[in-house]
Amino acid sequence: MTDATHGTPLRNKGKSILEVDARTKKRNAAEARFKGYGIAAIGISLFFLVSLLIAIISNGIPAFTQTFVNVEVELLEEKLDKNGNRDIADIKKVSTFGYKPLIENAMVKAAEGIETELSDKDLSKILSASAAAILRDYVIANPDQIGETVEFRLLTSSRVDGYMKGRVVREDLARDKNLDAAHLDLIDVMVERGAVERVFNWDFITGSDASESRPEQAGIGVSMLGSFFMMLVVLVLALPIGVAASIYLEEFAPQNRFTDLIEVNISNLAAVPSIVFGILGLAVFIQFAHLPQSAPIVGGLTLTLMTLPTIVISTRASLKAVPPSIRDAALGVGASKMQAIFHHVLPLAMPGILTGTIIGLAQALGETAPLLLIGMVGYIATNYPEGVTSGFLDPNSAMPAQIYEWAKRADPAFYERAWGGIIVLLVFLLTMNLIAIILRRRFERRW
Amino acid sequence: MEDMYQMDRTMSTEQDIKIRANGVQVYYADNQAIKDVDVEIQDKMVTAFIGPSGCGKSTFLRCINRMNDTIDICRVEGDIRIDGEDIYDPRVDPVQLRAKVGMVFQKPNPFPKSIYDNVAYGPKIHGLARNKAELDEIVEKALRRGAIWDEVKDRLHAPGTGLSGGQQQRLCIARAVATEPEVLLMDEPCSALDPIATAQVEELIDELRQNYSVVIVTHSMQQAARVSQRTAFFHLGNLVEFGDTDKIFTNPEDPRTESYISGRIG
Repeated sequence: MTDATHGTPLRNKGKSILEVDARTKKRNAAEARFKGYGIAAIGISLFFLVSLLIAIISNGIPAFTQTFVNVEVELLEEKLDKNGNRDIADIKKVSTFGYKPLIENAMVKAAEGIETELSDKDLSKILSASAAAILRDYVIANPDQIGETVEFRLLTSSRVDGYMKGRVVREDLARDKNLDAAHLDLIDVMVERGAVERVFNWDFITGSDASESRPEQAGIGVSMLGSFFMMLVVLVLALPIGVAASIYLEEFAPQNRFTDLIEVNISNLAAVPSIVFGILGLAVFIQFAHLPQSAPIVGGLTLTLMTLPTIVISTRASLKAVPPSIRDAALGVGASKMQAIFHHVLPLAMPGILTGTIIGLAQALGETAPLLLIGMVGYIATNYPEGVTSGFLDPNSAMPAQIYEWAKRADPAFYERAWGGIIVLLVFLLTMNLIAIILRRRFERRW
Repeated sequence: MEDMYQMDRTMSTEQDIKIRANGVQVYYADNQAIKDVDVEIQDKMVTAFIGPSGCGKSTFLRCINRMNDTIDICRVEGDIRIDGEDIYDPRVDPVQLRAKVGMVFQKPNPFPKSIYDNVAYGPKIHGLARNKAELDEIVEKALRRGAIWDEVKDRLHAPGTGLSGGQQQRLCIARAVATEPEVLLMDEPCSALDPIATAQVEELIDELRQNYSVVIVTHSMQQAARVSQRTAFFHLGNLVEFGDTDKIFTNPEDPRTESYISGRIG
């Protein structure tokens, strides 16, 4: 703090610099206070960040495991193929309802030797409602297996799964219509026997949404694909359009009222609530242009509109930040304006442009509101799109919309999946950022 | 010495005059930065523009290769001719003009690329080399002319921004001469350099005179006296005096010139 004694040499004449005077002390205290505020602010943010992460991870991790029952099911010929001629049309006539007895038998067999007050019929309540469908799909795919006994790994119901994860306790079941405490006792024994186990749930990452009554089946895979396709649309449209617009505005456009107006509007657009873009997307892309509803292409276009101002603003800022001496140097050796920009200015601005793009994309990835309006919050139970084009044109959801859907539903099992979905969303985002960072490194290394 | 310059001047004919400016006026929006300047710049000679800050010497220099075009609010009137051709003629493409009139800037501004690429960029975009070998040759020649070849020949692919300030400026000069201009404009090329680097650049300017017509803007009157044969003194947008360097510094006609070179104004 030499400044304290610097300005007034006469007044301080004779004073020792080994002693700190009152004014300096005051300033030092102010500085220390300011540092304290800063550290406190960072500390608070870190605290919130850490608690957020802990909350997300502790609530979401259970969604990545799922409880399964290993049962041997006898595929009775008299139930599945009465004529015995393995005619696929006849086999298909047996609905999932027809598989119920098989499952009941299998469960009775599985619970053999375990003392329980449950009736034979009630035993199968341990299983997910999806069990019959899984069996039916298997039989239709392998009609030759009819008559054999096949080992299946079947999903348990979400309550049983919740019990395994500690979400459901016996006291909760007092008024539960589906499950009794006796079921849980049975589960305990079956866990010991190894028939019931909790394993990593790939279906959560790759699967599609499921109906409200079977949360154990729901996965985020399809909406992840929806998000991926939307990001592709946003990237392919917003980056070139945004960069081209910025270069024109920054380097070529004359300074006049019209360009000023455009500039003001771009800044304003960046601050427009995203739901407004949703309305715009609905009106323009669906009602006017008749693009398919709920399709990632429409979602992508809508999010492009939302992302463009962000990209334009950051690109212009990074173009502006390139020292004018580089432009002068290029023009000085006889480069045309475009050569100067594309050979020298743009490469230097590239890291900044990429940063802006990734911020825009991250924003778009997490956006739910505009998707509500273009119908991308639906129940999408289809599996993976067959091809690339159908991926863009078929109805789909997006990760944030799917998470919103799950959080809305009553069953706490969906709640767990919503948290799990957030983890997947964050991992998706981190991957995107990582790619951007790697790309940026590349650009920086080139010179 | 005196006699030699005298001879130069008396011998100067139409052919020797490289650039002729007549009644040049430059406006930044409503501000007039240059008022009615007439200058004749001779070939194979160093012409220095001196004057206090803000007197318009750099502005005038930037008119000669139309670098002022990049400034929206800048307006140039009057007539500047290189080899008798009006450079503000609508048919003139400034890009082509700048290949003919190279420029070195105040602050060394190498591209953030390798030394080689810095020099090769101009020849590349103007198509001066048909192949790699020719380009290599052009680069070497330019770097030799820039008096920096010996220092960088072993690290041509190191970044140009990693050189010292003086080396960077010589690299920029090499870059400017690589496109084989006829005129070289230098806007205070030594103002960011230390005395040793300045001496090297000045020596270089003297050598460049053999091939080019050099116009240099400088704040340092000693530098003008050292490197130039002709000097123009600008003051408040006016060309106050223009003549042989020797005469300007020893026997100026205008009292303002005398005040400036003796340190009373500026």
